[in-house]
Amino acid sequence: MSRSIAYTSSPLLASPTPVWRSKFIVAAIALGFAGLVGRAVYIQVIENEFFQKQGEVRFARTLALPANRGRILDRNGVILASSIPVPSIWAIPEDVPRDPAGLKKLAKLLDMTAAELNKKLEDEDKTFVWLKRQVDESVGNDIAALGLKGIYQRKEYKRQYPEGEAAAHVVGFTNVEDKGQEGMELTFNKELGGKNGSRRVIKDRMGRVVEDVREQINPVDGRDLQLSIDSKVQFFAYQTLKAAVLEHKAKAGSVVVLDVQTGEVLALANYPSYVPDKRQNLSGAQLRNRALTDTFEPGSTMKPFVIGEALDKGLVTPLTPIQTAPGRMNIGSATISDSHAHGVLTVNEVIQKSSNIGTVKIAMQMPPREMWELYSKLGFGQKPVLPFPGVVSGRLRPYKSWRPVEQATMSYGYGISVSLFQLAHAYTIFGRDGDLVPVTMFKMNERAVGTPVIAGRHAKAVRHMLHLVTIPGGTAQKAQTMGYSVGGKTGTAHKVEGRGYADKKYRGVFAGLAPIDAPRIAVAVMIDEPSNGKYFGGDVAAPVFSQTVQQTLKVLGLAPDMTVIPQIVTDTEEESF
Amino acid sequence: MMRLNLVLLLGVVLSGLYLVNVQYESRRLYSELDRAQSQAQRLATENERLQVEKRAQATSARVERLAKSQLQMRAATPAITTYVVYPQSVGAPVQASPSGRDASAVQGRLP
Repeated sequence: MSRSIAYTSSPLLASPTPVWRSKFIVAAIALGFAGLVGRAVYIQVIENEFFQKQGEVRFARTLALPANRGRILDRNGVILASSIPVPSIWAIPEDVPRDPAGLKKLAKLLDMTAAELNKKLEDEDKTFVWLKRQVDESVGNDIAALGLKGIYQRKEYKRQYPEGEAAAHVVGFTNVEDKGQEGMELTFNKELGGKNGSRRVIKDRMGRVVEDVREQINPVDGRDLQLSIDSKVQFFAYQTLKAAVLEHKAKAGSVVVLDVQTGEVLALANYPSYVPDKRQNLSGAQLRNRALTDTFEPGSTMKPFVIGEALDKGLVTPLTPIQTAPGRMNIGSATISDSHAHGVLTVNEVIQKSSNIGTVKIAMQMPPREMWELYSKLGFGQKPVLPFPGVVSGRLRPYKSWRPVEQATMSYGYGISVSLFQLAHAYTIFGRDGDLVPVTMFKMNERAVGTPVIAGRHAKAVRHMLHLVTIPGGTAQKAQTMGYSVGGKTGTAHKVEGRGYADKKYRGVFAGLAPIDAPRIAVAVMIDEPSNGKYFGGDVAAPVFSQTVQQTLKVLGLAPDMTVIPQIVTDTEEESF
Repeated sequence: MMRLNLVLLLGVVLSGLYLVNVQYESRRLYSELDRAQSQAQRLATENERLQVEKRAQATSARVERLAKSQLQMRAATPAITTYVVYPQSVGAPVQASPSGRDASAVQGRLP
């Protein structure tokens, strides 16, 4: 029974091939495996990082998560500025078909000529050309509907300013990159801006996100900014101012409305202004936030401060008689005069009639240092603490360099320069207990604590004088407003030009308070170069004051403090206001 | 032994298929979530846009223009306003005046 084969001795199996061949095969296979192991080690261990990265590049994407720029709101939460995404149109010139009809339609939608569009598209080496950034949503849709090849859209944030030109100087504007350029937008660019986030994701071949690679970095949205501005007050102030500037053919004008109790800025408007989201052909004149950046000689509006200080120092009482005849007075070689000669006036009447002589006579009883300290305490010569770019300090020279005539002229507002905002701010002392309230651009809810300048009863006495200015016998009866008692002081100053005063260029100013017995607001108005016949502050600025006070107190919900004769509405006759 | 191996093989194959399925499902759900999130984002910005648009339609400037031109309205003056004082704030905004003005008078016809 030998079915089994004796392998070792079978002649058939006696290998004719040499032994090294089988050994060679084994070695070759072993080498192959070694090669694979080596490659595996190379990929998985040595160059692992590189290959991981290369792999990731092919399917992982980093998505930017843009942060929203904070909104700017008024005191009632009304939007003054907000960013919304709008389409921007771009193109790859090489891919755009040279089809005149289609391009013509596109040019029309983009609001440019066909030649301008062709110029943008002529360089075919470029792979990215902006055609127009930040177009309207509807334009974007129309362009998409054209279906032109090589034309693409991208979403960009654009700032919208619903209040338009009325609040332009307060709010400011951002550039095309959504960075603040002016006003609050510039000052609080960082707070409003926020921080962009990002996320790393894996996308499939359809471009869908299927997985997050690492923790997502959330965007930090910009903070909303709530201002003390009341959009209604701001609008009325701007509109009244605009009407007055146009009526008197003036160069410019400004108006400031402050809440006397809290120090909040309720409105701050300048004319000429601009529409913040349409800024083509902007001029410097339109951009100027005059109420804060332009200084001028305040003229007679300074008199109440000097009188207040004199009362406070006990130099005079409201009824002290002052001889102002004959309406001229010499100090050194200079002559000071009143435009109308008055006789003996009480201190009350010095303010009511705006007598330069009377004011100078009172002021000259004070040492220069006292007057300088008064003006300094009122904030003149110092920058108002307001978060605006380009706020100026005005000019108040040190008292040691004052000559007597300079002290005299300074008492009625010449030889010193202030901004309209400083003037409005200083007037708040008469609306309070003689203390200067710190101003703020942000919403406050309580009465602010001020720094004392004069005693409360003297502030009240000056308030009464300011009221006298607006009633028959005073210089600013046009400041009266229906239902509310007001008080204020006019100022008319020659404009400085070169080294002297311009002959027929004036500035009409009015600063005042309302309601006069328990003031809520301080309003200052400045009309620059009125050239339509009238130029006195009482004629050009006081009516703006009157209307602004009327509207503001109504918006604030204050009941009138004066008797008004009720009128029953019987017809629909148009009334201008 | 053989049977056990078969069972284990089957187990491996099934669990492998299940894994593929779960992975697919998870990616599908994730992309759906992502789409929903970006839609939420889109709706939020749309909401913001509409709010701004609403505000732009309701600015004082526009309201006044329409009120004057289309509705023939005019600005209310104190003479044609009825003031109603809430009981808790009587006297608060209005103070007696020394100059003889009738300060507390509420003008107009009270209902």
